[in-house]
Amino acid sequence: MYISDFNYHKPKTLKEALELLHKSDNGAPIAGGTDMLVELKQGLRQHQDIISLTNIEELKVINEDPDQLYIGAGTTHSEIIASDLIKKIYPVIAEAASKVGTAQIRNTGTLGGNLCTGSSCCDTAPVLIALGAGVEIANGSQLKIIPLKDFFIHNKQTMIKKGDIMTRIIVPKQASCVGAHYEKFGLREAASISVVSVAVMVQLKNNIINDACIVIGAVAPTAIISQRSTNVVKGKNVSELTENSTLLKRAGKAAAEDSVPIDDIRAGAQYRRDILNVLTQRAILRAIEKAESKCKN
Amino acid sequence: MKKIININVNGDNHEVAVRPGTTLLDLLRDELNLTGTKKGCELGDCGACTVILDGKAVNSCLVLALDADGKKVKTIEGLAGSKHLHPVQQAFVEKGAIQCGYCTPGMIMRVVSILDENPDPTKEEIKKALSGNLCRCTGYTKIIEAVEAAKAYINGMEQPEIEYQPQKSALDLSVVGKRLPKIDAPDKATGKALFTDDLAFPKMLYGKLLLSPLPHALIKSINTKRALALPGVKAIMTGDDVPDIKWGTSPPRYDENVLAKNKVRYVGDVVAAVAAVDEETCYKALQLIEVEYEELPAVFDPMEAMKEAAPRLFDDKYENNINTHIDHHFGDIDLGFAEADHIREERFVGNRTYQNPMEPHCSIAEWDNHGRVTLHTSTQVVHYVHHQLSRILNLPLGNIRVIMTYCGGGFGAKAATTTIEVMSCFLAKETGCPVKMRFNREEMYLFGRGRHKQYIDLKIGVKNDGTITAVKHKAILEGGAYSSFGIVSAYYAGSMLTTLYKFANYKYDGYRINTNLPPCGAFRGHGCPHPRFAFESLLSMIADDIGMDPIDIRLKNAMEPEYRTCNDLDIHSCEFTACLEDVKKKSHWDSKRGNLPKGRGIGIGCGGFVSGAGYPIYRSQFPHSNAIIKILEDGSKAMLYIGDADIGQGSDTVLAMAACEAMGITMDRISVVSADSDLTPIGFGAYSSRVTLMGGNACKMAGEEIKKQLLQAASEILNVDANILEAKDNKIYVKDKPEISIPWEDAGFAYFSNNGPLVGKGHYSPPKGLGGKYKGAAVGTSPAYSFSATVCEVEVDMETGKVKVLNFWDAHDCGTAINPMSAEGQAEGAVVMGMSEVLFENEVFDKNGKMLNADLHNYLIATSADMPEISSTLVDSYEPAGPFGAKEIGEGATLPILGALANAIANAIGVRIFELPITPEKVLKAIAEANKVNSDS
Repeated sequence: MYISDFNYHKPKTLKEALELLHKSDNGAPIAGGTDMLVELKQGLRQHQDIISLTNIEELKVINEDPDQLYIGAGTTHSEIIASDLIKKIYPVIAEAASKVGTAQIRNTGTLGGNLCTGSSCCDTAPVLIALGAGVEIANGSQLKIIPLKDFFIHNKQTMIKKGDIMTRIIVPKQASCVGAHYEKFGLREAASISVVSVAVMVQLKNNIINDACIVIGAVAPTAIISQRSTNVVKGKNVSELTENSTLLKRAGKAAAEDSVPIDDIRAGAQYRRDILNVLTQRAILRAIEKAESKCKN
Repeated sequence: MKKIININVNGDNHEVAVRPGTTLLDLLRDELNLTGTKKGCELGDCGACTVILDGKAVNSCLVLALDADGKKVKTIEGLAGSKHLHPVQQAFVEKGAIQCGYCTPGMIMRVVSILDENPDPTKEEIKKALSGNLCRCTGYTKIIEAVEAAKAYINGMEQPEIEYQPQKSALDLSVVGKRLPKIDAPDKATGKALFTDDLAFPKMLYGKLLLSPLPHALIKSINTKRALALPGVKAIMTGDDVPDIKWGTSPPRYDENVLAKNKVRYVGDVVAAVAAVDEETCYKALQLIEVEYEELPAVFDPMEAMKEAAPRLFDDKYENNINTHIDHHFGDIDLGFAEADHIREERFVGNRTYQNPMEPHCSIAEWDNHGRVTLHTSTQVVHYVHHQLSRILNLPLGNIRVIMTYCGGGFGAKAATTTIEVMSCFLAKETGCPVKMRFNREEMYLFGRGRHKQYIDLKIGVKNDGTITAVKHKAILEGGAYSSFGIVSAYYAGSMLTTLYKFANYKYDGYRINTNLPPCGAFRGHGCPHPRFAFESLLSMIADDIGMDPIDIRLKNAMEPEYRTCNDLDIHSCEFTACLEDVKKKSHWDSKRGNLPKGRGIGIGCGGFVSGAGYPIYRSQFPHSNAIIKILEDGSKAMLYIGDADIGQGSDTVLAMAACEAMGITMDRISVVSADSDLTPIGFGAYSSRVTLMGGNACKMAGEEIKKQLLQAASEILNVDANILEAKDNKIYVKDKPEISIPWEDAGFAYFSNNGPLVGKGHYSPPKGLGGKYKGAAVGTSPAYSFSATVCEVEVDMETGKVKVLNFWDAHDCGTAINPMSAEGQAEGAVVMGMSEVLFENEVFDKNGKMLNADLHNYLIATSADMPEISSTLVDSYEPAGPFGAKEIGEGATLPILGALANAIANAIGVRIFELPITPEKVLKAIAEANKVNSDS
């Protein structure tokens, strides 16, 4: 196991990084490196130029304006977990970040890196999609925003193109009474890869689910919105969505129907469907609970 | 091209030139010689390389050195002051949190960072926070205790005293029976302990193996021209360049080539070896070696492999790929089953698991100019490596020196000679330079020698009162491509079923089958865990069938002292009943059994093992363990030379304790030199749980010889008869008048002055003629047997099938525990390893025999977050054959875990799972099927 030679660059500004990337035939940006170094060591990728983003402070900022929360793509998972701002606005993002890998990985790996790796079992994507997040991508002097739900193409394939650097994750602030929850099922208690995951966002208005989004992970080539289960809960009174209620079960089943899981060494496709059903129901209940407690405050 | 970076490590500024691909880990280890930071997986899964980078714990294997430019790094070497250990290090030493020590530096750095972030974490927080640091030895129990102790040290809080009731057999002893820190713990806690990969020699080259990409193929040609032309490549060897000699582990089945001759038999079989200036060049050279293969049909399933038309792995032997067949019949099972009131037969299937010691195998060979080779290696069995090298290199033992460095765990993975031990010698000879070879984690799995997957048909007959009348056992062991230990594994699978319960009629049919997969070997509990899992499962099912409590049926049949089993194994000390009663009581079995809510369950499992194999692996008349003690001329220190190997289980400490007790000195007066074939007399090494009993007896004998000579010297000084003297606690005194005494060292000094060197010798051989006369009767014989019982409680998520293990209450008859803290450490480690095997572990292969999870990312082992509460008891017991009454615990402690956990799960969900591992998927499926049956009926 070794890493093939490359030219290393460590720019201090985003502009410089974009220029370096533009100039290179086969360059890649590296953030925390926790996925990238594994792939380099395993010989799964080779690059002539590697542009380290570790010194670019503008990629590490977490801030807000009245409408949106901005998380720099170079923010580590640990920084997200520790951020008071994120805790205040969307603690669920911190909860999802805390499910990524191990403490050591979270201390190094970045949110942008996690998304750009584009793994189908990515832990941060489902929640961010459920919250309607977008990702800001720079290329040369261009800056574009892609809704995260459209960012993933296939497992390990994203909309990132040559010369692109993800700069920020932008999460719109929702109206009041929003609750979101992330459920992850791994084979051991910690440091495990998601076998199934689900993120649920609900927004309540007079006990009615005014808006919702249910995103399922590790059960399709990318995290996807389960439109059917979202539709099942939208517009319903929360009193219909209690443990073992017919509606809740319908929502779980609908999520399973939207999934297209595969058999792999972690689990079979049917099992994934079965527990997606269960996890979805649990996540809906928890999301409603959280929304209700927010409404009270 | 290299770039200059400035990095501050442990307060020192370094200006270093590094290549772009250099990781922080390699920078620390290779450039700065800070080898305390360990390389366990290289992919960020194990945490052994954890350092603190700008205040945060990171995996240094996943950080580019160039990205650490301008940053501050803290490593294990920077933690302790010149005089004092850091409180975390101190706590790890005192609490017995260190076994092999390979995960320790990373673990300690992580703990330091946890306590920096939160000085008062709860136990649950600690368990979660440590989950990125894998440990295979300790079961995390004592590590968590150490973190809590460290927390108290740092916060200046009082430490609660450990309540420990010494065993009766140790009450009158001074050293044996005490909870002492391991003597190597401070070195392991500070990163000073050197493992093989931490060593480097002038002009040292690196070696790597070319592994077969195909499961079964003929080698038509090998072209090494392009590889040899690569700058930096010093030698390439193929099957043509090494002697035509077969080797392996057990002599009747030597069937491995040093490098493949004409044929490869699994993905991972060794085709060629390369030596070059660094590992990177080796890897590049491997890609340039052109091998032309003619692919042959392969077979992976043992049932398929036995069929007439199946592809054969060996043309000249093992007909129908049957590597070993055993047909044993003791008593009369027809009669036995005829006497039974109830008979049940079931099929159980085990899993293919790998030991995963945290330290990857590593060897360094160097030849001197007199035709002598020295091998530093990470092994459990210096003597067997020595013996095998002598055969393969065609040299007398005296021209080979094998030195075991600190060894980062083995569990059987390092219990026989490896290809890199052999090939580093050949490459070093070929190049005239020292050659280091190491496995990466994937190569460890492919070299294999893990647990055989067993398919077991077990039938037990009982009377209405639970008395076992007959047992019929058929096991098919999937063995992989070569024999390794397999013949022994297959015998053990059968022979050891008889040691726990008394029954007179027993039939065992054992088959070990070759397949085109990595060879299986000896893994903790050698061959026995799967049959024991089957037996304990079936016995509990039968108890349910006949309306008997599962513990009662065990008590009914429980082994007793001085019993000869139906297959001629002699049980001497046996406190099995005490173990059962202890776990029954402390688990509150009676109040829980049948009263737990759905999804919660409780189960019992039992186990036991040999305290050392009665016979060596190859025919030999040498005593199995041998010790020499040399007293320094001023009497200030005893040097213990012992051939047996401390692989982390703590044998150096335990053997030193036995020697100290025998000599009458305290532990600060002894140093241990172990497992160096030039310095230490032969010891068969660390396998079959033999070291405490056999090495312990040798050390005790050597110590007694010292004492005898010393008492004589003292008698001349005191002018009394030597017979009335005693040595204890560094004094020699008159037994009846302890006030008449001289310091121990004064007697040593006087002895040396008058007589020259004071040396004691000790040796141990098992009693002659152990076991019966039938073929294979040797396997399972031992001077003594351990016993254990455990109760497990689980909670199962009935909707997802996920099992959470809540508790293990275990009790062990290990005779006198020489060091109870170490013995508990073995038991706790066995619990978590056994649990991990039941719930998580399984090697998976694609349809072409390529392993899909040869890493620690996809092959899961238990983390600290998975750890249950463990309550271990060492029952009162005394084994006459053992030193101070001691016998084994290391392997026996694994055996009850599988069955107990399986029984607890069955109890929780109301349905039985017969195949390991018991994954959530299988649990959910079983629940669904049971529900279907219930609703249909």
